[in-house]
Amino acid sequence: MLVKKRMTHDPVVVSPRHSLADALRLTRERRIRHLPVVDNGVLVGMVSDRDVRTAMPSPLTEPDERRVEFLERTRVADVMKADVESIGPLDTVEDAAKLMRRRRISALPVVDAHGAVLGILSESDVLDAFVEIVGPANASSRLEIALPDRAGELARAMRVIGEELGVNVCSVMVPPGTPGERRVAIVHVATIDPRETIHALEAAGFEVGWPSLETDLRAGGSA
Amino acid sequence: VSPVPAALIWDPAVTAYKFRPDHPFNPRRLELSVSLIEALGLIDGDQARMVAPRYATEAELLAVHSREYLDAVRRYSGGAAATGAGRWGLGTDDTPIFPGMHEVTSLVSGATIRAAELVMSGQVTRAFSIAGGLHHAHRDRASGFCVYSDLAAAIAWIRREHGGKVMYIDYDAHHGDGVQGIFYEDPDVLTLSLHESGRYLFPGTGFVDELGEGDGYGYSLNVPLEAFTEDDSWLDIHRKLIPEVMEAYRPDVVILQSGCDGHALDPLTHLRSSTRLFEETTRIVCETADRVCGGRVVATGGGGYAIWQVVPRAWTLVWGALSGQEVPNAIPREWLDRWQGEAPVLLPTLVRDAAEDHSPVPRRAEIEATNRRTLDSLRRQALPLIRGWGLGF
Repeated sequence: MLVKKRMTHDPVVVSPRHSLADALRLTRERRIRHLPVVDNGVLVGMVSDRDVRTAMPSPLTEPDERRVEFLERTRVADVMKADVESIGPLDTVEDAAKLMRRRRISALPVVDAHGAVLGILSESDVLDAFVEIVGPANASSRLEIALPDRAGELARAMRVIGEELGVNVCSVMVPPGTPGERRVAIVHVATIDPRETIHALEAAGFEVGWPSLETDLRAGGSA
Repeated sequence: VSPVPAALIWDPAVTAYKFRPDHPFNPRRLELSVSLIEALGLIDGDQARMVAPRYATEAELLAVHSREYLDAVRRYSGGAAATGAGRWGLGTDDTPIFPGMHEVTSLVSGATIRAAELVMSGQVTRAFSIAGGLHHAHRDRASGFCVYSDLAAAIAWIRREHGGKVMYIDYDAHHGDGVQGIFYEDPDVLTLSLHESGRYLFPGTGFVDELGEGDGYGYSLNVPLEAFTEDDSWLDIHRKLIPEVMEAYRPDVVILQSGCDGHALDPLTHLRSSTRLFEETTRIVCETADRVCGGRVVATGGGGYAIWQVVPRAWTLVWGALSGQEVPNAIPREWLDRWQGEAPVLLPTLVRDAAEDHSPVPRRAEIEATNRRTLDSLRRQALPLIRGWGLGF
């Protein structure tokens, strides 16, 4: 999944010469937290509403008019984070997620080869992508299939569902497990009545996770 | 319990809504149910009567389905080759093509519209379209045994002919995704579906965060219940939520999808209700409707796959609650004699499950706590959005 499919296109940007008051107003009006800072068409930094608040004198020590004056007088260039991480539109969302996690960044600017800002990818965008990947694509029942860690097991399970029974598989997710141990595939099948599918998989030697009073899924091999 | 004018919409012709001989959506369950209702003397021809359905018109179906979908169903129904049917959700294991499917689905849809006509004209206070309840049908796709949405067609008919607000309540064990989707942006139709969580069960939707979109935001409500939920936890939610939402929303009429596949014996789901759930919930809906909207309730059937042991008893109790008649508990000999020969299982002799029919579920406390959390979360998110909520109506 590519960054360009999930990012917000053409985000609101500021110049380093804007005042903090301008930047704060933008974040409030557009209900956003992060602003890429662009100079001569090129990304030069990022500023967040939190950066502005942190820079501001404390209301405990300074009167309001001094604080307002500070916001009008101070430039974005003075509080922005320069030399920030960015990512390209053709990078993957998983790479972006790793970078955001490692560097504790909650929004990444997306830039082209010349440094022009094309978009912004936020934590929410990454979470939306995750929800979409693990969720059902179409009306379906969700099964968990335990796969021994050897070649062909996933294919064998899919053959049982797709070829023997002719049931459509809408999505498959197989998180990598510990080598040598079984992995649990999460499979959405396009049927309201998966009884036959479950029986056929079990007859083929697979353990299938599906609500059951006999085996507690949470205690069992459920992913 | 006092009798309320009520109509059971029935004609054996609706049993032609049949996909295949071994298909779980078996219309025999309708004949079993209607014959049990009759054998128990619950049709008196006066207050509680039987009324024949009519066919839905093309315009009535086009109010909720696309022209392309309707044309496709008609084509396959008339015997056209099944190429491309998958695009419309047809020709699948769940919803195979059968000859005449357009006509009989039009009749099932017309049955529910007929029920709405009788209620909205004041000829009866409640009506039960027992063959209806096809809540998985979408605007342009068949799904989960459902071809046309009789429910959405009846709701659209009410909106067009009478205006006002419609509240749709669905206690089928599967999420009422079709009806929810068709009215997802419409604040004049509030949908409330209570069902087994889509974490495993088809259709995989119906979570609390599906609240509607645009003008309809806050008018789609979902309570996903834990697998193995039993009567007490489920009824507790119905008792709290149904009056609360209905009194806040003030609908003009209630549409009730009373699928009975949440019963412990149902082979397709993992809920563990007894027959009590269907009788009491229908009563809760009717009593609240009495206070809020002149008692107007249009009920339908829905899912229910334990066709010998559960469906006839559940829907007899639904009919009793709708029509304000006490349902005798002993199943008449004549009914047992008529059907036992054909039944692959021993037929029950009492209408209501006895407490000892039910074995307790392990993890009950955990299941009930999760359901309470789900209810709290829904109330927190949705109730402030419903027009009129908190204004002391």
